[in-house]
Amino acid sequence: MATDVIMPKMGATMEEGTIVTWFLNKGDYVEEGSPIAEIQTDKIAIEIEAEVSGTLLHTCYEAGETVKVHEVIAYIGEKDELIEDSNSSKKMEVIEQVKEKEQVLPPPSTAENFQKIRRTPAARVLANEHRIDLSEVSGTGPNGRIEKKDVLHFINSKKKITPLASKIAAAENLDIENIAGTGAYQKITKKDLMLPKTSEKSKPLKGMRKVIADRMSQSAFTAPHVTITSEIDMTSCINLRKELLPEIERSTGLRLSFNEILLFATAKTLSKHPNMNASIIDDYIVEHESINIGFAVSVEDGLLVPVVKDANKLGLTELTAACKELGLLAREGKLLPHHLEEGTFTISNLGMYAVDSFTPIINQPQSAILGVGRIVEKPAVINKAIEIRSMMVLSLSFDHRLIDGAPAAAFLTDLKEILENPMKLLL
Amino acid sequence: MVQLLNELGLSREVSHKLLYDMLEIRKFEELVEKLFQQGKVHGTMHLCIGQEATAVGACYALSNKDMITSTHRGHGHSLAKGMQADRMLAELLGKETGYCKGKGGSMHIADLDVGNLGANGIVAAGLPLGVGAALTSKMKNLGYVVLCFFGDGATNEGAFHEALNLASIWDLPIVFFCENNLYAMSASITEMTRVKNIADRSTAYGIEGITIDGNDILQVIQTASAAVEKARNGGGPTLIEAHTYRWKGHSKSDARKYRSREEEQKWKKEHDPITNFIEQLKFANYISEEELQSIQDQVENNLKHALEFAENSPEPSIDSLTEDIYTGEVNV
Amino acid sequence: MRTVTYAEAIRETMSQAMRQDEDVFILGEDIGIYGGAFGVTNGMLEEFGPERVRITPISESAISGCAVGAAMTGMRPILEIQFSDFVMIALDNIVNQAAKTRYMYGGKSKVPLVVRLPGGSGAGFAAQHSQSLEAWMTHVPGLKVVQPSSAYDAKGLLLSAIKDDNPVLFYEHKLLYNVKDEVPEELYEIPLGKAEVKKQGTDITIVATSIMVQRAMEAAEQLEKIGVSVEVIDPRTLVPLDIETIIQSVKKTSRVLVVYEAVKRSGYGAEIASVIAESEAFDYLDAPIKRLGGVATPIPYNPTLEKAAVPQVEDIINECKKIMNL
Repeated sequence: MATDVIMPKMGATMEEGTIVTWFLNKGDYVEEGSPIAEIQTDKIAIEIEAEVSGTLLHTCYEAGETVKVHEVIAYIGEKDELIEDSNSSKKMEVIEQVKEKEQVLPPPSTAENFQKIRRTPAARVLANEHRIDLSEVSGTGPNGRIEKKDVLHFINSKKKITPLASKIAAAENLDIENIAGTGAYQKITKKDLMLPKTSEKSKPLKGMRKVIADRMSQSAFTAPHVTITSEIDMTSCINLRKELLPEIERSTGLRLSFNEILLFATAKTLSKHPNMNASIIDDYIVEHESINIGFAVSVEDGLLVPVVKDANKLGLTELTAACKELGLLAREGKLLPHHLEEGTFTISNLGMYAVDSFTPIINQPQSAILGVGRIVEKPAVINKAIEIRSMMVLSLSFDHRLIDGAPAAAFLTDLKEILENPMKLLL
Repeated sequence: MVQLLNELGLSREVSHKLLYDMLEIRKFEELVEKLFQQGKVHGTMHLCIGQEATAVGACYALSNKDMITSTHRGHGHSLAKGMQADRMLAELLGKETGYCKGKGGSMHIADLDVGNLGANGIVAAGLPLGVGAALTSKMKNLGYVVLCFFGDGATNEGAFHEALNLASIWDLPIVFFCENNLYAMSASITEMTRVKNIADRSTAYGIEGITIDGNDILQVIQTASAAVEKARNGGGPTLIEAHTYRWKGHSKSDARKYRSREEEQKWKKEHDPITNFIEQLKFANYISEEELQSIQDQVENNLKHALEFAENSPEPSIDSLTEDIYTGEVNV
Repeated sequence: MRTVTYAEAIRETMSQAMRQDEDVFILGEDIGIYGGAFGVTNGMLEEFGPERVRITPISESAISGCAVGAAMTGMRPILEIQFSDFVMIALDNIVNQAAKTRYMYGGKSKVPLVVRLPGGSGAGFAAQHSQSLEAWMTHVPGLKVVQPSSAYDAKGLLLSAIKDDNPVLFYEHKLLYNVKDEVPEELYEIPLGKAEVKKQGTDITIVATSIMVQRAMEAAEQLEKIGVSVEVIDPRTLVPLDIETIIQSVKKTSRVLVVYEAVKRSGYGAEIASVIAESEAFDYLDAPIKRLGGVATPIPYNPTLEKAAVPQVEDIINECKKIMNL
């Protein structure tokens, strides 16, 4: 792709500039950083430098012409390249002009000419095209003969960098190994070095973080999310927990938490709303047979979602044990793949923070996720009288491709009902 | 001798023409020799001065559609068969107007239009070629006869023997005419073969062989005519051996060390075919001094114009170097 | 389509040509009732009679000269030289006469002659009956030289040779006479001077002639199994040579092996290699041009030695591997 050379805006007030001289002719090779032309602005005369190396394919204006800032005045690219004139959307062919200049190019490496290096004609031609000094290439042919593939290998592996970028990298002590080049012949340009302006910390996006980033993006951009909220009076649940806590602790040694109560209630509600326990698989809406509820566990630098399989079939005691175990494994980094697979619904609890409600992102390929906010003591109206009650907001995000607002609301309504009247769990 | 003239049915006019033809050959060869000495002719040449009777006599026995094959010493045969002196000279000078566009030269001069299948640089090569031409005549019923000229030396080449054998078994319309001038380049025929008469070799092939005085044009005409007629009528080939002598060396680089000057002089004085024929004609009252002079003048005049034509002709273009290598367009 | 042998295809072409054109006739030794040394002319005497199927004495000099003379005067003879090795005695008429007559005579005269010669080794006929000397003929301006590798090609090429007004040397291979191929019944011409890509490939080009085409194809099949894609080209006519087709192939594959039965030294494959090196294909070469030819020895009698004297399928495979650095 040819690179545009534009009339630069060299000052806040500069509206246009005049081309005084072109230093090169069409077809000439230019090294990045070398001057291409002299420009006269309203204040000063300056030289424009090439931002990339390549062949000057075309100049759009003659010397003496005045051009508005930011307009394209020339193109630099690979010889014989066709360019799209972005000013007028016409293709410009410059092949004939470039061809006559072909002979003017100096031989790429005189070292190669003098030292009789063994190379095949195809290798030599390729090396010439890419201006490679064959003395730097190791040959794998018989007698160390350099073959075409050796040159190709060299091209691909050698990090090429423009002189300007090379100077900067050296000065800033940058490691260029992992930097991708976007200049001609994939050379690293000054732009690619992406020097930070302050001393910001940066680290590569990889590992779990990258996975989460990918999956969150994919979910957010695939499924149309709608989040509905509902304020739940958790007072009854709190009492329930108080009563059951000692019992469960005695039998499991574990302390029942609201997580488990919520999970339990959600499992029961899901069994009555199988449409919330579904997935789109290959253009089919599949309502899962099992209810496997995953719950988000925050770990260093990310989150994991271990899954409780057949959550609806577990009693609160078993559920507690399962959740506690999974949570521990998660924090210790000892979760196995099967712990994380086959979830059909997810609960994400931010209730330990000062978060009332939020818009959780669905854990694909599931179709809904329940976000849990904190429990706050608030005034509420009970029997026309104001009382202090423990309130909590549930945020249900659902995938509007397969679940409409009403069914989702119905589910949430039922869940609220159960949580506010836990006795209904017995039914 | 007059008898022979009558027997052969030669009129005065015809005899004058025969004389003209012989003189033309003699003068042509002398002219060419002079040109060579002047450095105007490239390569070498093989002159047939002294052998005019065999050429003219044998060709007289042929009709226009009959064919001949010739040898490296072919100027006489070519003129006798009907080729023109001007284009022959042009060819010898390597000019574009020559019979072979300057590409053949003396040894390869040819004109298929008058039935001359060509002089040949390879001794005896003309015999198998002549056999082929005779085969065409027979297979296509074209009725023409082929007369192959060759020298004594050629009769030792395998090609001579193979050709005679092939022509004999296929009964081809061909006459094998040997001009025995006693020397194959420097080799004396008496040393190179045990056979006394070359014509005797005919028995090996079951065909007739005759030996004659090749410097007596009437004998040549008589023998050749008979052989040609026999061939034309399906009687198969004949081998004629005509004794003659070449006055000059084999080629231009021949010092003639292999024969004596006396021998040469003897043949020149006593067996000059042209003076012999003139004597015969005078004796028979077939020619006057004026007519003789007139013929000589005509020959001189003709050759003068021929030389002018040749010298004024253009050289072939350099492009003609690669022309006519093949028949048709060939991309090599 | 029916299949016929190489020998049958040649016989059929000559017969069909002779039925069409009265000027075409064949001559040679033992081509009559014997049917030719390799049976190629079997049955032709019966159909065309002794005038047009002319048996000759053992006189290569006379019969070749006769063929030339007949061609010069209007016939279209096909001369069978019994073994290509016997052409030596006829060389003067081919090289000094037929090849040069038109040129020497300034464009007058043409020599529409076909000389058929069975060449090659492998039948145990030893040194004087097994040579491949077609390179000699390719060296003489004025001659055309053809080497068909299959019955199909033989028929088409022979008809073109018969119709050509120039002297054409038609080199057949003894070991190919019994090889069958699909051959159309009707007459068809394969133009002289046109090569054929017998197999397409991308890694290496093999240019092969005569029986080496068959062996190159077998080698290519084997090489395919180890991932080497071979392109096989048969020039079919040696002079004039279809260099374009060869150049295009070498540009594509960047490697070339020239395989021929003739002695490697100065065999015609050396010319092909040179022509490639001088062409624009040079800049595309990723390996040196290689030739595989016969060992510089007279052909021995012993069958093992006989085989070892000329390239076999294994030799082609090994050479290709070397070129591919395998």
